[in-house]
Amino acid sequence: MIEVEGLRKQYGDLVAVDDVSFTAEPGAIFGLLGPNGAGKSTTIGCISGLLKPGAGRVRVLGHDVMTEGPLSRRKLGVVPQELALYEDLSARENLAYWGSAYGLRGSHLKKRVNSVLELSGLIDRAKEPVKKYSGGMKRRLNFACGIVHEPEALLLDEPTVGVDPQSRVRLLDLVREQSKNGATVLYTTHYMEEAEHLCDRLAIIDHGKIIAEGTLPELRAMLGERDILRIMGKFDPNIVFETLSQLEDIEIVQADEETITLATPQASTRLSDILMEISEEGFEVRETTLTQPSLESLFIKLTGKELRE
Amino acid sequence: MRFVWTTALKDWRRHRRNPIEAAIWIGIPLLVGFLIALAFGGQGGHTPQAHVLVADEDNSFLSQLLVGALSQEAAGGFIRAEEVEQDVGRLRMDKGDATAMLVIPEGFSQAVLLEEPVALQLLTNPSQRILPGMVEESLSILADGTFYLHRLMGEDLRTIAQGPPPGATVFGDAAVAALSVRVNQLTQRLGEYLSPPLIQLETSIDEDQEEDDEITFGFLLLPTILFMALLFIAQGLSEDIWQERTRKTLRRVVVSPQHILAFLVGKIMSGAGIVFAVCLVALCVGYAYLSLSVTTLPLALVWATLSGAMLMTGMLTIQLFATSQRAGNILTMAIMFPLMMVGGSFFPFEAMPKWMAAIGTKTPNGWALQHFKGIVLQQTDPGSLGLAFLGLLGVSTVLFLVCAWRLRRGFAQG
Ligand SMILES: Nc1ncnc2c1ncn2[C@@H]1O[C@H](COP(=O)(O)OP(=O)(O)O)[C@@H](O)[C@H]1O
Ligand SMILES: [Mg+2]
Repeated sequence: MIEVEGLRKQYGDLVAVDDVSFTAEPGAIFGLLGPNGAGKSTTIGCISGLLKPGAGRVRVLGHDVMTEGPLSRRKLGVVPQELALYEDLSARENLAYWGSAYGLRGSHLKKRVNSVLELSGLIDRAKEPVKKYSGGMKRRLNFACGIVHEPEALLLDEPTVGVDPQSRVRLLDLVREQSKNGATVLYTTHYMEEAEHLCDRLAIIDHGKIIAEGTLPELRAMLGERDILRIMGKFDPNIVFETLSQLEDIEIVQADEETITLATPQASTRLSDILMEISEEGFEVRETTLTQPSLESLFIKLTGKELRE
Repeated sequence: MRFVWTTALKDWRRHRRNPIEAAIWIGIPLLVGFLIALAFGGQGGHTPQAHVLVADEDNSFLSQLLVGALSQEAAGGFIRAEEVEQDVGRLRMDKGDATAMLVIPEGFSQAVLLEEPVALQLLTNPSQRILPGMVEESLSILADGTFYLHRLMGEDLRTIAQGPPPGATVFGDAAVAALSVRVNQLTQRLGEYLSPPLIQLETSIDEDQEEDDEITFGFLLLPTILFMALLFIAQGLSEDIWQERTRKTLRRVVVSPQHILAFLVGKIMSGAGIVFAVCLVALCVGYAYLSLSVTTLPLALVWATLSGAMLMTGMLTIQLFATSQRAGNILTMAIMFPLMMVGGSFFPFEAMPKWMAAIGTKTPNGWALQHFKGIVLQQTDPGSLGLAFLGLLGVSTVLFLVCAWRLRRGFAQG
C-alpha cells in the first residue's frame, strides 16, 4: 500500500506538486496520468525518498518515508523515468549490484538475477556490456533493476517512453505480473491508451493537482456520455459563447480566439446545427475534431486542453 | 558493510574496462618524467650519460625524424646518439662501447604510415645496470608517445626542455597554465594513439658482458613520477562521481535502503585499490631499477597508497562542490597542475630554487612526497613518521566527512 496525503513540493516559486492525495492498494495498478510537467516524477520522487516533501505525509507499506526512510525503501522498487544503469557493466552485473543494494546475496541473488533476466528477455545477451544494448533493451533492464528484489511496492515512472512496440508489450506484461503477484504498483504515464488498458484505478494530474480520480468506469461516468467537439478557426469568444449557450444541452468547456471546445451528447448529429450558428455570426471554421468519451475527452473537459500538447 | 564491498568491486570492474584511462594516468607521468630527466639532466653535472648507437636501415623521412627526435632530446645531456651501420654497431656493442644500440628496420616508415605494427630493436649493454633500462624506457615512450607528441606539441616540449626563460628561475603562471591546457588536450588526443600501440620496442640484451654498478640520478625521478601519477589518478577517479550522477545511478543508490555513506566508502575504497595496484607495480619496478633496500618497500607502499587516497578524496571534495561536470573538471585540473608543478611532482624539489621547494613541501602532495622519500631512504624516525601517518589519516577523514555531507545535501538528488 502506498498512501499519499496532502503532498506538496515546491521548486522556488513553482509549485510542482500541490496537495496531492491518493492511496494505491496492493494487487492493483494505480495510474497517475498527466501531461509532461504535471508533477508525476516529482510525486514519485517524494515517495521514493529522493526528494524531501515540502508538506504532507507519505507512507509506503505502512512506513513513513520521512521518519522511517530506510525501512520504507526496503521493499520498495523504483523504475526511474531516466535510465539509471552502468553502461560498462553487463546486464547481469548491473542486476547483481542493485540486488545487493537491497540485501540479496549468494544463491538467492543469483536466482533472482536469472529470473528477471528471463522475464525481461535479456538472458541471451546478459553478459554484454549495457552500452551495446538497444534503447528498448536498456529500458527493460532499467525495469528489471527495479524488481530484482521482489518489491512489495513498485513505482514506475513512464517506463515505456521511447520503447519499441515489442519491448512495450513485454514491459506492460511485466507490470501486470507484478500486481498479480500482490505488489502495489504506482504507474505514471502520459499515454491515455496505456492508462486505460493497464490501470485498475487512475488519478489525472495537471499542474501539480489531481483533477479527477477513480476507476475507469467511474471516470467515464464523469463525462456523462458526452462527446468532445473542438472547432478551430477565427472567433470572437464572447459572441460565440453567447450564441452557443442558447443551444440545448451544450457545455462550453473552453473558448478563445482560435479554438472552441464543447461537450455535448451525440455531437455528430448536432454538428451541422452548431457550425451553422457559428458561420451565421460570420466566423470562419477551419477544422473540427470530434472525440468520443475517453480519458482524453475527460482530460479535455477538465482542463480545456489536449493531453498531448 | 557488504554494500561497501560490492560497490568497490563494481567500480573496479568499470575501471578495468577502460584501460585507456589508466594508460593515460600512468603514461603521461612517465612521459613527462622522461622529458624532465632530459631537461634537468644536463644541469646536474653528475648525470650519467647514455651512449646510443642508431642503425637506421630504413633511412626514410620518418626514421630520420625519430633519430632527430632522439638526438634533439639528447641535447639535454642524457642520451648521446650516434648513427652507425648495423654491423659496425654490433661489433662495438660486443666490445661494450655503448649503452645500447637502436635498430630501425627497413620498412619502418611504410609500416607507420599504413598503421601496421612495427618493431624497433634495442640491444642493450648488460654491463651498465641502470642506463640501459632508462634508455629502453625512454625509447619505448619515445616510440609510443613522443613521436606523436612532437607533432602535437613540439613547441611546448622545447619550452620545457629549455627550462625557464633566462633570468627567471621558475616557469611563469601563464606558461604553466598554457601547458596545463595543452597537456589536458594532449591526454585526450593521445588516447587515440595509445591503443593499439603502433610502434613496438623489442629489447634484447647483449649477453657476453659483465656487471658493474653505477650511481643513479633516476632516484630523484621515482617519487616525482609516482606522485604525478597519483595526482592524475586522483583527478581522473574523482570525475567518476559525476558519471554516477549524470547516469542517474547515484539516484538509484539514494532510493535504495543503503546509506549513501556506504556507497561513498566503497567508492573511495575502489580508488584506493587502484592506487595501491599502481603503487605496487611502480615501487617494485622502481626498487628493482634503483637497487633499493626492499625492507622499506611495504611502508613506502602503504604511505603512497594512503597519500593517493587522500589526494583522491580531496579532488572528490572539489568535484562535489562544483556546479557541473565541466566546472568540476576544470576546477580539479586548475588545482592539480599547480600542485603538481610546485609540489615536486613535476620537477623534483632538488631541481627547484630553494624558496620554491620550501613552499612546495607545504602542498599536500609535496608534503606526502617528502615523507615518501624519507621512508624510502630510511631517513625518518619512527616518532615523526607516526605523526605523519596520523596527519594523513586525519586530513583524509576530514575530507571524507565533507564529501559525505555534500553528497547527502543535494548532490545526489541532482
Ligand atoms: N529540479 C527541479 N527544479 C526546478 N523545477 C523542477 C525540477 N524538477 C521538476 N521541475 C518542474 O516541476 C514541474 C513538474 O515536473 P515533473 O514532476 O518532472 O513532471 P512530469 O514528471 O509529470 O513530467 C515541471 O514544471 C518541472 O519543470
Ligand atoms: Mg516525469
